Amino acid sequence: MPAMKILLIEDDLDLGNGVRIALTDQGMDVVWTRQIAAAWHQLSQQPCDLVLLDLGLPDGDGLQLLARLRREHGSLPVLILSARDALQDRLNGLDSGADDYLVKPFELAELLSRIRALARRSYGFDGELLSLRGLQLHMPTRRVSVEGQPVELTVSEYELLRLLMMRAGRIVTRRTLEEQVLPGGPGNASNALDVHMANLRRKIGDGWVRTVRGVGYVIDQETR
Amino acid sequence: MTASSFRLPPPPGPRAALVLVLVRVGRGLREALLAVVRPSLVRRLLVAQLALLMLLWVLGIAYLLHQGGRAFLLLQSKQIYPTILAIADDTDSTPERRRQALDLLHASIVEEYDTSPERQPAILVTRGTQVLYRSRNAPEIPPLDTGGALVTVSTPTQRLHARTVAGPHGLRATMFGPNDGWNLLRTIYSDGFYLMPLLASLPLLVLPAWLSIRLAMRPWTAVAREVARRGPQELAPLAYRDGHRELALMVDAINGWMRRVAESAQRERSFIADAAHELRTPLAAMLVNVEALRAATHDERERQLMTGVLSSGHRATRLVNQLLTLMRSDAAAAEPVVPQELDRLLQDRLAALEGLATARRVELVLSAEAGLRIAGQRGAMESLVDNLVENAIKYGPPGGEVRVRLRREGGQALLAVEDQGPGVPAALRERVFDRFFRDPAQREPGSGLGLSIARSVVAGHGGRIVLAEAAGGHGLRVEVRLPLL
Repeated sequence: MPAMKILLIEDDLDLGNGVRIALTDQGMDVVWTRQIAAAWHQLSQQPCDLVLLDLGLPDGDGLQLLARLRREHGSLPVLILSARDALQDRLNGLDSGADDYLVKPFELAELLSRIRALARRSYGFDGELLSLRGLQLHMPTRRVSVEGQPVELTVSEYELLRLLMMRAGRIVTRRTLEEQVLPGGPGNASNALDVHMANLRRKIGDGWVRTVRGVGYVIDQETR
Repeated sequence: MTASSFRLPPPPGPRAALVLVLVRVGRGLREALLAVVRPSLVRRLLVAQLALLMLLWVLGIAYLLHQGGRAFLLLQSKQIYPTILAIADDTDSTPERRRQALDLLHASIVEEYDTSPERQPAILVTRGTQVLYRSRNAPEIPPLDTGGALVTVSTPTQRLHARTVAGPHGLRATMFGPNDGWNLLRTIYSDGFYLMPLLASLPLLVLPAWLSIRLAMRPWTAVAREVARRGPQELAPLAYRDGHRELALMVDAINGWMRRVAESAQRERSFIADAAHELRTPLAAMLVNVEALRAATHDERERQLMTGVLSSGHRATRLVNQLLTLMRSDAAAAEPVVPQELDRLLQDRLAALEGLATARRVELVLSAEAGLRIAGQRGAMESLVDNLVENAIKYGPPGGEVRVRLRREGGQALLAVEDQGPGVPAALRERVFDRFFRDPAQREPGSGLGLSIARSVVAGHGGRIVLAEAAGGHGLRVEVRLPLL
C-alpha cells in the first residue's frame, strides 16, 4: 500500500511541526502549509488522500476553505483540528462538510485512529464490500460470510451487523440500533433488540460483537 | 441558652419538662414581641393613616364645639331665658316667692351639672341697676347687659361666659357659665355623641386600612419575591413592568446593579475562557512533540521522563477543558433549553467514554429507564454526565465496575453513578463541590473542577446533587435529581 498523502493546514509552528514529524514517523506522507493560499496551491499541484484542517488561520477561516474544498474536491476526507470545542462549533464544522472533528489538545493515538478510520472509509471500502477481520458483508447482495463460510441472516440481523461493521471500533448505542433496525422503532417490546442480537450472535458465532451493558454494542477492529 | 442544649436525664422529670415548656413559651413570646417591634412599612403607613384620621376628627369636633356652644349650650338656649323672666315678672310683688321660685329653677338646671358651685350655671335677674335675684353661685359683679350676645367676663377668680336677655318691664336675665378647657371637655363628655363614634370606629377602621395598605403594597411584595427567587447567576432584569413610580425607581436601581454585576461576571468569564482557549494550541503542540519523541526513543529512562511530561500535559489539558466547561455552564444563557431524552443522552455519553473505561480496564454498566425527559441544555448535560462518569472511572479500581442508573422517582429523574473506589469521607462531601478543592487523601491526579461543574449544571437545571456511600458501603455514589418534563 502506498504511503497515505496528508495535507496539514495549521498555522502554529510548534504544533504543525510536531504533527508533521509524528505522522511521518507513522509512514505517512505529510505536506504542511500554514496559510489557505498555500494550501490551494498545494492541492492544485498534487492530490492528497486526507486534509487535516485548523480553523483559525492567518489569511481566513478554515470553514470557508472547507466549503470550497467540498465544492471542488468532492469527497476528499477532511478532519478538523480546532481549539474551539463548544457543541455549536463542532456541529458547524460537521455541517460544513468535515468528516470528523478533533479538539486540541488531542492525543497522538487518537489522531492516528481517526485518520485511519477516515482513510478506510475513503479507500478501504469500495462502496459494496465491508470487510473486517474475518467478517465480510456484501451490500448489493446482502450476503454475509464468516471466515469464508456463508451465513443466512434475517433482515433485522443483517441490518444490525451492517450498522456495527460500518462503525467498527465505535459503540453503536441501543437507541440508534432500535431506531434504525427495529421495524416499529424504539418503544415496542423492550427486549426485541436483545432477541435479534442473540440470534445474530448464534449465527455468526461468539467473539465478534461485544456488549457494553445498557449502552450498546461494538465490533472491535482488533481482537481484544 | 437554647432548649436543645438542655441535657435531660432519661426520662425527663416533671420539673425539667416544665422548664422546657417555659423556655418554649418564652421564646415564642420573644419572637412575637420581635415581630411587633420590628420596623414595618405597613405599620408606619397604618399609624400615619390613623393618626391623620384622628387629627382630622379632633379638628372637626373642635370646630363644632367652637361654633355650637362657644362653650356653653345652655347659655344659648331659647327657652330658659323667657322662663326665668316670666317667673321674675309674675313674682314682682312678692320678692320672697321670686327668690324661692328662681332657686328651685336654678336647682333644677344645675341638677345635671358638676357638683362644685363655681362650675355650675348661675342666674342673675336685674332691672336697671337693681339686682332682683342672684343665685348663690353667681359672681359678685354689677349688673350687665350683653344685648343677647354671648360674652366673656372676668372676675378676680375665674373667667365666665355670660349672656343677658331682656324681658318685659325692664327685666334682664343673665346666665353665667364657666369658660375654660374643662368646660370644653365636659361638653364633649356630656355630648358623648361626638367622642363615642371615634372611639368605637377606630379599631374597626384598622382592619380595612391594613387590608388596603397590604393590597396597595402587592407590587412591592411581588418584586421582593422575584428578587428572592433569583439564583446567583440569574442576573436578567426583573420581570416587573407595571411602572409604579416609587417602585420603578427601586426596580431600575436593582436592574442596573444586576446588569453591572452580570457584565463584570461576563468579563471575568470571557477572560478565563480566552486564557484557557489560548492554552490549548501550545498544549497540543507540546503533547504531540513529546509523543513523537517518545515513540522514537528506545531508552527506557528517557521514555519514563517523557511519560511524566505527557502525564502533566494531560492534567493541564483536563484542567483547561474543565475551566472552559465551567465558564460555559456559568454563562448558561447561551445554550437553548430543549427536551432531552435522558436514556439516549446516557447511552451516547457512555459510548463515548467507553474508550477511557477500556483503557483503565473498568466496565461500564448502564441501566436506564426509557422515556424520561427533562428540559435541558445539551452541552451542559453532556458535561454533567462526562464529569460524573469520568470521575467514577478514574477513582474506581482497575477491573471494577461503574454502574450508572436512571429511574423515575416521583416527579423527578434520579440519576445515580456508583464506583468501587475509596469514596469520599462524609465530612468532605460538601467541600468537594468547591472549585479546586480535592480530597487530600486522593492521589489520583485531578483538577478539582469536575464536581463543581456537575453542581453548576444541576443547579442550572433546577435539580439537586448529593454524594453518598455506594451500595455495600464501598465506593462513591453520586445522586442527581432533575425535575422531569
